[in-house]
Amino acid sequence: MSRFFHGRNLLYVGVGSAAAVIAVVLILVSVIGSSSAETTGSVPVTTTTGSGSSTPAAHPKAPGATATAALFRGIPQQLNQLGNPKAKVTMIEFADPQCPYCRQYELDTLPAIVREYVRTGKVKLIYFGIPIIGQNSEAGLRAVYAAGLQNRLWNFSHLLYRSQGAENSGWITDDLLRRIGDSIPGFDTARMMADRQSSDVENALAASAQQATNGRVDRTPTFFAGPTGGTLQQVPLTALTAAAFRPTLDALVK
Amino acid sequence: MRDRHLRAAIALVALAGAAAAAYLVYARYTHTQIACTTGGCETVQHSKYAKIAGVPVAVLGLAAYFAILATALSARVEAAALGAAIALGGLAFAIYLIVIQVAVIDAICQWCLASDAILAVLAVLTVERLRRLAGNPHESSGAARMATRG
Repeated sequence: MSRFFHGRNLLYVGVGSAAAVIAVVLILVSVIGSSSAETTGSVPVTTTTGSGSSTPAAHPKAPGATATAALFRGIPQQLNQLGNPKAKVTMIEFADPQCPYCRQYELDTLPAIVREYVRTGKVKLIYFGIPIIGQNSEAGLRAVYAAGLQNRLWNFSHLLYRSQGAENSGWITDDLLRRIGDSIPGFDTARMMADRQSSDVENALAASAQQATNGRVDRTPTFFAGPTGGTLQQVPLTALTAAAFRPTLDALVK
Repeated sequence: MRDRHLRAAIALVALAGAAAAAYLVYARYTHTQIACTTGGCETVQHSKYAKIAGVPVAVLGLAAYFAILATALSARVEAAALGAAIALGGLAFAIYLIVIQVAVIDAICQWCLASDAILAVLAVLTVERLRRLAGNPHESSGAARMATRG
């Protein structure tokens, strides 16, 4: 055994050990750093850094975190777009995070549209948020668009709808927004909170308002669909069910 | 292949890795959109795994490539050992990051994958260099101009 730790073998052992130390230290710091603001259980947990300074308390996961991650898993997202950027058809949704019918569409119908049209690469979805219901809507929209800067707008918006409270009751709090952020895998919640006041988010809000004006949108949810790059028409809907969208989308993707 | 050939190969590959890492560092600090065909580069670069103790992973990668490049400039066996340790440790960390991209972030960064591939090549080259030098210590001192054995 002692003969093994001589000369060349000793060198190899030393190199292997040094490599292992480098990898273990990097992975440990990465895991600790990424989990410092992440929930690990069903109750709030306060975490501290190695230097002893306190970090914001982690939050319990938002309702539907696992289902939401599964719904969008593997689908490309780019700012406010979901799906294949080269999809034949584009469908735009104008929505307000406080709007109950938007929630109904989001939870009951969007999963089917994602499964049938977005995952298959036929349709891409574009989100435009407009604060129709009240001031609390803008607070939510700022967070939604800030999440878009990390290409996770759709996860964030979906989770926000799952936690929706009564209109203008002040349910969109910083605590809720942090909890939603912490429920998205790999998401940088602190960055999202800071980005809410960024010029990128201001521009996104202004662009959404302009799009709504152009489309004469005065209620949410409102949908427009058409060939990508072409003229989009308002989707005629008698209900917010997947069946109500299929005639329009099926005709466009043919 | 002589040690100087291996060192030249290591230096060239390390420069390629540094170029990929430098592009990501540049994009990060200038807020430039990353050229990306996988659609996940921005997502990965903006995730909470993109930094280690406040330092962007791309910056760490850039430093590692330059460190490996520096070891290739020396003919000493200690330099070869250091280069191999950095490349192997970096490769293990890169594999961890690939798992994070696939299993947690749900997005793939093509520049990260390119860097990982370069690191894998560097690991092979640096280990081979170390193996040859350790088996033929004379070459590392430059005292003997012997051809290394394959």
